[in-house]
Amino acid sequence: MSVSYTAVGWNRQKKRYDFAIAGFCSLYLLLFIGLTAVTNPDYTFETALIRSTSTLAFLLLHVILAIGPLCRLNSKFLPLLYNRRHLGVTMFFIALIHGGFSLFQFHSLGNVNPFVSLFSSNTQYHSLSQFPFQALGFFALIILLLMAASSHDFWLHNLTPEVWKTLHMLVYIAYLLIVLHVMTGVLQFETHPVFVVLLGAGAAVLVTLHLLAGSREIEKDNARFDTVEEGFHYVCETSDILPNRAKIFCIGVERIAVYRSEDRLYAIHNVCKHQGGPLGEGKIIDGCITCPWHGYQYLPNNGQSPPPFTEKVSTYDIRISGTKVWLHPTPYPEGTERPGVYIGNSI
Amino acid sequence: MEQIITIVFTVALVYLLLGLAFYPLFIIKGITQIDPGAKGSSWGFRLIILPGVVLFWPALMRKWIVIRKK
Repeated sequence: MSVSYTAVGWNRQKKRYDFAIAGFCSLYLLLFIGLTAVTNPDYTFETALIRSTSTLAFLLLHVILAIGPLCRLNSKFLPLLYNRRHLGVTMFFIALIHGGFSLFQFHSLGNVNPFVSLFSSNTQYHSLSQFPFQALGFFALIILLLMAASSHDFWLHNLTPEVWKTLHMLVYIAYLLIVLHVMTGVLQFETHPVFVVLLGAGAAVLVTLHLLAGSREIEKDNARFDTVEEGFHYVCETSDILPNRAKIFCIGVERIAVYRSEDRLYAIHNVCKHQGGPLGEGKIIDGCITCPWHGYQYLPNNGQSPPPFTEKVSTYDIRISGTKVWLHPTPYPEGTERPGVYIGNSI
Repeated sequence: MEQIITIVFTVALVYLLLGLAFYPLFIIKGITQIDPGAKGSSWGFRLIILPGVVLFWPALMRKWIVIRKK
């Protein structure tokens, strides 16, 4: 969070994250190009660079797509999510080097515009074995470009969160295009089955992780809170909510986070205003509910970000009867002061 | 086929050039009008959003026009 925009919101953790990304990418490229030079007598630097950047970008895309479901399944992966944006931009630049060098190597030596040549040099769209796979990679790169160019909070605010989120969900279309790009490309130039096996394994891991995370979310959302008194739903026991943590309850269509801060319980809407992060999976830091995704903060008693920030979420009524926690699912307008409820000796 | 591709890429190029022409005007005058968070922001930030402005300039221009009318 910051009052005015900065180019890159680096802090100690993000710098360490970026150093790790840069170190891994450099090592991967050096090893790939070095090993290719040693083992392949027909080696050319351009070909090694094109192949090393393609495999690295594809590997990073798998990591990026796995981070979301992994965080849903285990909160230990949350530090990876914190700076996923930088990983995404890094992946785009590596893919751009791959695309740029490929365009240069295969399409810039004639008298036709390289971009025109990309689409007109091979028009066998009806053939699987001769399919013009480079066009698929081009469209995937365009999606990655749109995502990388809008990877700043400025765009989240000015394109609106809905448009921004939709734009960034296109990463799944990009992934599909890249899978087809690799499959149709590899089919034309490689006979070794290891490439197909690796591609299938990567896709299988991603699909499995998404299905597991999705089913867990559905299970949570389908939990029923049918005991109702005066509009309040019985949701849990006071001892179920750990100090400075929350539990999330889905009543109707809304997810509500019930937080325990000091000796009181508070209820706020579960969705962070920044990128829709699950507030109930965060914790209380410096007296504020802190989103686990990017650290956006809200005061538990009114759902407002501490001044000078302006984000607000809805608040809800909550009460305790004996050791039972009861939640009213009707939201108050965003930022409405609610006193919470004193836990006292009810634990 | 080649002719159609050439036309598509020419249109795309014109679109991007218009975005590039829009950028300095937007950075100097428009950005602080459409987003208070840009007030006092660094030149590094204004540079880093260049590719986005070139790509999404119609959305920014629309928002700027709406705010100016108000």
